[in-house]
Amino acid sequence: MRVLVVEDDRELALRIADFLRAEHFAVDVAGNGEDGQHLGETEAYDAAILDLGLPKIEGAAVLRAWRAAGRTLPVLILTARDGWPDKVEGFKAGADDYLTKPFRIEEILMRLRALVRRAAGHADARIECGALTYDVQLGVFELDGLPLRLTGLEWRVLSYLALRKEIVVARSDLIERVYEGDAEVDSNSIEVIITRLRRKIEPLRIETVRGRGYRLTANTA
Amino acid sequence: MIRFPSSLSGRLLLAATIFIALTLVGVAALTDVILDRFVHRQIDQQLDAQVLALATALKTNPDGHISLTHDANGPPFDQPLSGWYWEVAGAKNALRSLSLRENDLQIPAGPLGPPPPLPAPIHFAGGSPPFPADGPGPQNESLHYRVKTLSIGGQVVTIAATAPDNAFADPLQNAMTAVLLALGLAAVALIAAMYFQVRLGLRPLEKLKASIADIRAGRAERLPDNQPSEIAPVVKEINKLVGENAEGLVRARRNVANLAHGLKTPLANLGLALQASDRDPTGELLALVTLMDRRIRHHLSRARVAALGGPARATTHIAPRVSDIVSAMSKIYADRRITVQIEMPPDTAVGCEHQDFDEMLGNLIDNAFKWAKSHVRISAQGEGDKILLRIEDDGAGLADDAALDVLRPGRRLDESAPGYGFGLPITRELAELYGGSLTLAPSNLGGLTAALTLPAAHPISS
Repeated sequence: MRVLVVEDDRELALRIADFLRAEHFAVDVAGNGEDGQHLGETEAYDAAILDLGLPKIEGAAVLRAWRAAGRTLPVLILTARDGWPDKVEGFKAGADDYLTKPFRIEEILMRLRALVRRAAGHADARIECGALTYDVQLGVFELDGLPLRLTGLEWRVLSYLALRKEIVVARSDLIERVYEGDAEVDSNSIEVIITRLRRKIEPLRIETVRGRGYRLTANTA
Repeated sequence: MIRFPSSLSGRLLLAATIFIALTLVGVAALTDVILDRFVHRQIDQQLDAQVLALATALKTNPDGHISLTHDANGPPFDQPLSGWYWEVAGAKNALRSLSLRENDLQIPAGPLGPPPPLPAPIHFAGGSPPFPADGPGPQNESLHYRVKTLSIGGQVVTIAATAPDNAFADPLQNAMTAVLLALGLAAVALIAAMYFQVRLGLRPLEKLKASIADIRAGRAERLPDNQPSEIAPVVKEINKLVGENAEGLVRARRNVANLAHGLKTPLANLGLALQASDRDPTGELLALVTLMDRRIRHHLSRARVAALGGPARATTHIAPRVSDIVSAMSKIYADRRITVQIEMPPDTAVGCEHQDFDEMLGNLIDNAFKWAKSHVRISAQGEGDKILLRIEDDGAGLADDAALDVLRPGRRLDESAPGYGFGLPITRELAELYGGSLTLAPSNLGGLTAALTLPAAHPISS
């Protein structure tokens, strides 16, 4: 899962990014509205964390620009102003949730996971696919009731596939959502990760659909 | 020293009344003088004509006695003791009018005071006109004399004709009665006209007062520009002032928002730093961060409210704002699948800044969503010059004493669901600033009713 953080306070942005990376997210950081708008319009993200008080372009304007460009990613707005007028403006611009500074770091994680889950069309916090259970709120995979140990990259790939279980996911989409913007992407490495994952989640299968992509399925046939 | 009334119309009316009264008194005095002269002249003419008639009819008999060639006792000289007398005094005898009844006249000897300013009404050929004089009559009454001395047949003859004082006073009094009546009517008419003129002239001020009241009540943003030229500059200045006030309000709010931003981002950083390190094993420092946050929010909210400055009000139509906030809530609480029922007349508006309305309603609807099981009802209705908004949920509700407690600033009922203890006191503070109120009561949905009363945008004018 790949997240964009648009926050002008560098220290705060890096803290959020570090925390999310520790929770296996791929994180890109933009320090002002202009960069944030550009990244949101050109890169693929599962969610964005957007500060409303940004230099160059205000957060609400960035959000309106994303929506106008057809970007539907869920957006969590951060605001230092806890008045409702600012929140209402943020929601009218197209926000999905908000957090008021200061916040507990777990709160960001909770909101972010809920947003990603809802955006993928899941109402329940637990996604089940055969013997595999994914608790989206906690970010934990279990196979036959036992926790699954995954690396960051493996977690990102599997969570993306699990949120779209039984659906074919394009290989390019998967690559986009797994690596951070400045990462050196080796086109073979995704295959390596998939191969490792296949071993870990047996008897579930990650099918390779030729010319289209991958599919996580409980169908063992 | 006259103390002028404090009202403009009072001053104008008082001044007008004084000037009108002075003018009319002057006119009356002048009329009196002119009429007096006129009456004098009339009577002098009459007396002089009598003197002339007597002089013309006068003859001396061979024995030195004087007599008249024909009767000179036409009216009014035939009325006994009427004050209208004549007498011709010669050296040996005297002739008298019938009205004298054999009484004698003591004819004054010569002119008293300066000669009359008016030219003699009758030309006496070869002699001066009769001179005026005042003197006593046979009954010791005051008489007005016209006296002429001439010599005829070698003897000096004095001819005098008199008129009583009331011959002057009566016509003058009659005329002045009519004149004063006319002047009195004129005074009443002028003062009435003045009154209406003042009312008409000051009407733009009345309108101005109503327009300023409209601004205060939030029905207008500025004064209308089409004003009489005398008050147009004042209106322009007032409009500038109103504009500056509004700008000041916006600036103050922006400053408060900037202050919030400036304080809260470092505070967020501090909080995250404490969580990320081992420096705060007991969570004590993090609790301090939370406390600081709450203090800042409390005082910033107060500062924002204080920035309002006065009762100046805008008009806020509530239906679109309710729908904005509800749609935001529906996103935030998307997982809860809460149904919202909104019941309000479409044109309901409150006299309240829309930011403040959003703040109040946002807090209340947020609470309702937070505590609702599945249903939230938002309704509005007019009650006199107030609007009553009810935000109800079907959650667990509150005990009565808890309902009082929750409105106290800084109190928190449930530490695990942030915000309950904070939004409500701020909402109540804002509502009271606008002359409204916030009360909590059980709802027939099963949970809590927050009843928010705010002034209607167009109060029924009293």
